[in-house]
Amino acid sequence: MNIFQLVWRNSFRKKTRFSLTCVSVVIAFFLFSLLAGINHALTSNVSSNNQYRLLTSHKISLARSLPLNYQQKISAIAGVESVSYASWFGGFFKDETHQLAVLAVDHNSYFEMFDEYDMPARQLEQWKKTRTGLVIGQAIANKYGWKVGDKVPLSSSIWMNRDGVFTWQFTVSAIYQSAGDASSEKQIFFQHAYFDKSRAYARNMVSWFTPKVHGDTDLDVVSQKIDTLFANSNGATRTTTEQVFIKERVQQFVDMAMIIKLVVIAVFFTLLLIVCNTMVQSNRERLNESAMMKALGFSSWFLIAQVYLESFFLLALGALLGCISAQLCLVYVSHLFTDFLPGIAIDKVHYLDVILLIFLAATLCSLLPALTLKRLTISNTLGAKA
Amino acid sequence: MHTNNQDKIAIQLKEINKSYKKGSNNVVVHDHFNLSIAEGEFVALMGPSGLGKSTLLHLIGGLDLPTSGSVIINEQRIDTLSEGKLSTWRAENIGFVFQSHHLLPVLTAQGNVELPLLLTPLDNKQRKQHASLALRLVGMEERAKHLPKELSGGQEQRVAIARAIVSDPKIILCDEPTGNLDRKTADEILSLLTKLNKDYGKTIVMVTHDLRASEYASRVINLEQYIDAGQQNQLSALEE
Repeated sequence: MNIFQLVWRNSFRKKTRFSLTCVSVVIAFFLFSLLAGINHALTSNVSSNNQYRLLTSHKISLARSLPLNYQQKISAIAGVESVSYASWFGGFFKDETHQLAVLAVDHNSYFEMFDEYDMPARQLEQWKKTRTGLVIGQAIANKYGWKVGDKVPLSSSIWMNRDGVFTWQFTVSAIYQSAGDASSEKQIFFQHAYFDKSRAYARNMVSWFTPKVHGDTDLDVVSQKIDTLFANSNGATRTTTEQVFIKERVQQFVDMAMIIKLVVIAVFFTLLLIVCNTMVQSNRERLNESAMMKALGFSSWFLIAQVYLESFFLLALGALLGCISAQLCLVYVSHLFTDFLPGIAIDKVHYLDVILLIFLAATLCSLLPALTLKRLTISNTLGAKA
Repeated sequence: MHTNNQDKIAIQLKEINKSYKKGSNNVVVHDHFNLSIAEGEFVALMGPSGLGKSTLLHLIGGLDLPTSGSVIINEQRIDTLSEGKLSTWRAENIGFVFQSHHLLPVLTAQGNVELPLLLTPLDNKQRKQHASLALRLVGMEERAKHLPKELSGGQEQRVAIARAIVSDPKIILCDEPTGNLDRKTADEILSLLTKLNKDYGKTIVMVTHDLRASEYASRVINLEQYIDAGQQNQLSALEE
């Protein structure tokens, strides 16, 4: 017999009540962990690998194109080291359920500037020489079983080629790996020159430029110079750092995540009240026993510790089951949304949050019973008034 | 009130005043009350309801504090101790037996008897040994693995007595220990208390309404004799 056995036995005194309350806790932590997993997918990869890269797009919308000749004009601005560009192809394989992130990029400069894509030099050279060549990520190669030399037809819902069809023929020339997250190995690149010459409309236009500046240059100053240069043209620009651009792109998802998060917080606090109520009720039912334990010599603090451990046990058990359920669910969900929303996973830091929440919730749930126990008068509770 | 016993004084109440607030009224329960009980005595506190018998027992056991006066147990004044020190003192010096046994329903008889030993430095094995010995003393060894709900009223009270003596306190305080029991079981419990008093030298103070129960005591104190009419009226009002 020790305090832990006492806590264990007291916890299961009312099995139905314990089970129902525990289920509530499981649901709260399941939702909390599930959201954390989805939130991770929405907010991860918002960091750029290069702090000296800018992104210049049309001031009104990313959907609007900019003239290709801006490349020379931007390159001439003091502080700019080089300028690359890209256009959004969209794209899917076979049918629209297999959506792919396909970009047409400047084959001369793009991979020199974006050196985080790791591929054999021989393959890169081969790609530069192949007008219809593709550079694909390892994850894409694994998923579709593509290898260098394979002929791959990709369709676009935006771009029709000069043959009047939306399906473009490509050849896999190179496969890259990404040093960081495997989710960034899901992009596909092909030559902008081929794209520009073959598309039926909007030639000599690009979606965005990526100016790279010298290391000692003030990014804000260069950004302002670029935007000022095109301020009074039809193609007015908006230049930001790559980091800001990526963050803005995911902001819409982050806002959505914030709303879900607030809902889950509301659910969590409601459940906290349920657990608090359970502990208060459980404590009230045992006041006579608590008074007897005090009479036997147990201090108020021992009884408070007992209540705290009971709350902790209930919350920890619920949290454990909730986190395991969420983890299993996320494995399934991440498999389903592997293309649409890569990176669904529970971060290790989340478990630290869970542990802190358990401690905090156990403290809050024990407060009222603790006050009752501290004020408990043995003689009154055990019935002697005179 | 003083004992004639020339032995060592175990319990001494000096000039005890105890009053309660009830609404705007101040109800005086004990007024300059004095009591001495010698070591090894078996004292029965008697009197009608509402005269402060249980209050007296609670003052002796450190469960309640006097409004003024001093409570001296085994030469130690306890009414000035802090709550924490009083808890420790109770664990070491006093065993309680109440009318309602207040056994923990989730623990077996053995577990309930072991409970006070959690406050001692004894290890798990020693605690089990002490609890088994206490259960044997009250004739409940064979029921050690039973939960309170599986025991009769008399058996539950025996377990409560085992719990009261397991840490070997010198003083056992009993508040109507036979109040919920039939005559035969009550006699068994009273015989057990007498045995603890005679064979093991425990000082026992027992509050009871039962005249037959008082026959087991070595001294009977009738509180009615020590309380004036005015005070009785006040206490009756409190009782109501």
